[in-house]
Amino acid sequence: MVRVKSRYLLCEVNATDRNLLLQLDDRAVTAAVKDVVQRIHGDYGAALCSFGFSVKYLNAVTGIIFLRFPKRCYKLLWSALPFITSIEARGKKITCFLNCIYVGGTIRTCQKFLIRYNAHQLRRMLPKCKNEEERRDVQQAILDCCLTRNHTDESEDALESEEDE
Amino acid sequence: MSCETALPNLEALKKDSAPERYLKIRLELEKQEVSLSEVQLRFFIVSGLKSLHGEVGAALNFDVLRHDEASNITVLKVPKEGLVKLWSSLTLLGSYMEQRCAFRVLQVSSNPPDS
Repeated sequence: MVRVKSRYLLCEVNATDRNLLLQLDDRAVTAAVKDVVQRIHGDYGAALCSFGFSVKYLNAVTGIIFLRFPKRCYKLLWSALPFITSIEARGKKITCFLNCIYVGGTIRTCQKFLIRYNAHQLRRMLPKCKNEEERRDVQQAILDCCLTRNHTDESEDALESEEDE
Repeated sequence: MSCETALPNLEALKKDSAPERYLKIRLELEKQEVSLSEVQLRFFIVSGLKSLHGEVGAALNFDVLRHDEASNITVLKVPKEGLVKLWSSLTLLGSYMEQRCAFRVLQVSSNPPDS
């Protein structure tokens, strides 16, 4: 049947200064993407971006964002994302770059991928733990992911913020 | 002033495998005395491409093959993939130095025009 199809890009915002990353909000990301698409693809790109583009999910702690694009022009708009060098949020300029890690057709597939990705990141963090307390926290979080998938996101987000401080 | 216009057979043009397309255009200005040099025309077209298609459009590789300053008729060469971008930005270019202007496309072909 006829359905409006779109593509969801799962991107990671890599910032040089992680404390500034916490200032991120969805309006800043929307403005940054629209600005760079206008610069790279002109009026044509800006028109494609005006309807159908939105930021669906933003996690300031881990820097993960879901961008929604219409299916017919997502590749064109995707090609402009590497040109983002900074995002202006709440008066502060965050120097960063966007790394696209997954393209999904629905938010649910992106979410499933994100859960697996976060679990994978936790396992990578385990050998890098600096003290015993951190090591126990990470091990507990990994155990939680394996046993149940419900509370995975909150515990991982809390842990990653602890790691970074 | 009569000018020949060859209506392009767009379907055949799309299927043609030649890698380049040739556009014969005429710039019509409000004040007919103003004529553009080749460099000015090139800059004007690139500015139109940049406004409609951004940096990617401005980087489009097109050549000005022949330019007649008296009649403002120009022949442009462009790769096959860039024809739509170029033609659309020529269509939407509306003003040159605060006077209204229009690009009339006289001929589009995959072989260089003879005259």
